[in-house]
Amino acid sequence: MIRERFIKLALFNRLPKISQVAPVYALIVLMIYSWTILWFFWRLPSWLFFMSISEISVVFAYAMATNFLESLLILMMPVVLCLLLPKKWFYDKFVVQGASLAILVLGYSMWFTLRIQNEDGYPKQLLLLTIPVIGIIGILVYLSGKIGLVRKIIEALSDRAIIFLYLSIPISLISLGVVLIRNLF
Amino acid sequence: MPGFSRRDLLKLAALFPPAVALSKVISTQNVLTNTQSTTLPNVIIVLFDAMTARNLSVYGYHRKTTPNFERFAEQATVYHSHNSAGNFTIPGTSSLLTGLYPWTHRALNDGGLVERDLVGRNIFKLIGKEYKRIAFSQNIWADFILSQFREDIDLTLPPSTFGITDHIIGDKFKDMSSAYRALDDFIFKSSTPGSIIFNPIEKVLYSRIVAQNLSDDYPKGLPQNINYPILYRLDDLFNGLSSFVNRLSPPFFTYFHLFSPHAPAKPSKEFNEKFNDNWHPINKPVHRLSDHYSNSILRDGRRLYDEYVATVDKEFGNFIDALDKSGMRKNTYIILTSDHGEMFERGEKNHHTPLLYDPVIHIPLIISAPGQQNRTDIFSPTNSFDVLPTLLNLVGQEIPAWCEGQLLPGFSGKIDAERSTFTVEAKLNPAFAPIKKGTIAMRKGKYKMIYYTGYEKEDAFELFDMENDLEEMTNLYSSQSQVAASMRDELLERLHKANMKQTK
Repeated sequence: MIRERFIKLALFNRLPKISQVAPVYALIVLMIYSWTILWFFWRLPSWLFFMSISEISVVFAYAMATNFLESLLILMMPVVLCLLLPKKWFYDKFVVQGASLAILVLGYSMWFTLRIQNEDGYPKQLLLLTIPVIGIIGILVYLSGKIGLVRKIIEALSDRAIIFLYLSIPISLISLGVVLIRNLF
Repeated sequence: MPGFSRRDLLKLAALFPPAVALSKVISTQNVLTNTQSTTLPNVIIVLFDAMTARNLSVYGYHRKTTPNFERFAEQATVYHSHNSAGNFTIPGTSSLLTGLYPWTHRALNDGGLVERDLVGRNIFKLIGKEYKRIAFSQNIWADFILSQFREDIDLTLPPSTFGITDHIIGDKFKDMSSAYRALDDFIFKSSTPGSIIFNPIEKVLYSRIVAQNLSDDYPKGLPQNINYPILYRLDDLFNGLSSFVNRLSPPFFTYFHLFSPHAPAKPSKEFNEKFNDNWHPINKPVHRLSDHYSNSILRDGRRLYDEYVATVDKEFGNFIDALDKSGMRKNTYIILTSDHGEMFERGEKNHHTPLLYDPVIHIPLIISAPGQQNRTDIFSPTNSFDVLPTLLNLVGQEIPAWCEGQLLPGFSGKIDAERSTFTVEAKLNPAFAPIKKGTIAMRKGKYKMIYYTGYEKEDAFELFDMENDLEEMTNLYSSQSQVAASMRDELLERLHKANMKQTK
């Protein structure tokens, strides 16, 4: 019993604080939501022609709800690493390394998403390429905590990105509500 | 009074999913068996996606691709100069279902839809509530169009019905229509995916399923939708359709939009390599707007397509036999058609092209009337938007004044040699703007004019004599200047009128 409590407490202490998570999450939100909104506006003129404003709003709600789930999923990556790796390796530099991890993973994901659309059949080569990419991302994340200039840029960027959370979180929660209501009632 | 415990709540919650599932079954059963005494005929439309009439032996193609269509045609009316109003699913299907030209309904682009204000002009609404109106499309683009008419459809079968995979996400939502549009078309869309996390994950999972689902019956892989995760066997599909139809009580109207023989071609073992006959079609000059495919690629593509058509034909034959056996055909109109054709010539393959030569727009139309015993052949030009008014007339409904189609000859329509019909390609033109980039094909009598605008510095015209030059080898635009001028003026006038609405 005491041992279990000790483990729980130890794990809890390893979790990053809200003030550490917020800037990392803000960067994730910025990247994921921007991508979706960009394509949303690209298709908006034709949708306006075919669908009513309320129908388009519902599509937007589904997209935002999906983005919300995706952003939480991506946030889990640095948080889990924080729990698994020694404190010195990740916890102490959570903002910088978490943010650079998010930027690199999402950047690769954007490239991967565009590439995979042209693949016929199982994308074996593309998936094999992902293995060394993961290694390179790991090295770059490690280096980002070591190089002063990079650290400063990432910290400044993620700090300024927090403003987007004031928009994205309420919009996402409303969107999630809209999706739930439309599918439950 | 005993309290409502947490255990009771869990029990109640456990009952919820089966209750929801049961309610769906009950409502489907109502649609299938809610009987009315009636003399109205049933109507079944079977649309084969991307089926060109030019590669069907029922229309004289030298490879024996469609013996079962030929058998079906022996007791049907066969239209020999039937064109699609568009060159791909969106405009072609929309014209069939609305009786309007693409420049009117504006479903012009990839993933496009019928203009909001015109959604009420659809076959399901017009055919009336006396009919049980049922729609099924394996092509998601067509399903998006059908979702616009959902208020007028009694039952829409999800695209993956009768399929092996169930990767369509919108199906899983109660709010299906919006979920399709948002998730399947936007978030998981092929060329412009709205998601950078779930989209690639889903794509990898689906391609893995495709790779794992190999069958000895289909040496080149199972038939599948090209852009959306639907994998199926043609025998399962047609068996499913025939048993579904045989369970319906009259009168019913069904629209079945089947993906085959659309690329990728997946012939069954029986027909795989069947047409490896070293036949070389007429060599046509490579068109400047084509993708410049080599002749050998085009020849292989055509052969594979023909083998796939033969596979589809065999299963269609089984479907018709099943309807014959049940006696369903005695009171049923069966309409076999397509939404657009397919080409393998002039450096171009498939149909997403500015080229509107005959293989891309010449589609089959074969209508079997209840109890029809003999074959009738109609050679005058007709178009896909003629099907809607003809059907309305057959079931005793009024034809609305806005309808741009006419009654088909053979079903109360007159043969009008001087009638002009148009096929519109404007995929790259914004749907809400006047058409300034596209191709228009005009058919009048024996002549066909093709007008290219916006693709090159200068607009271009071509003119062909379709009676004496079906292969469209000799451009008569300069030599037949009178005919050319008259058709050109009419075409430009019609386009101008259509564009005026968008200019306003």
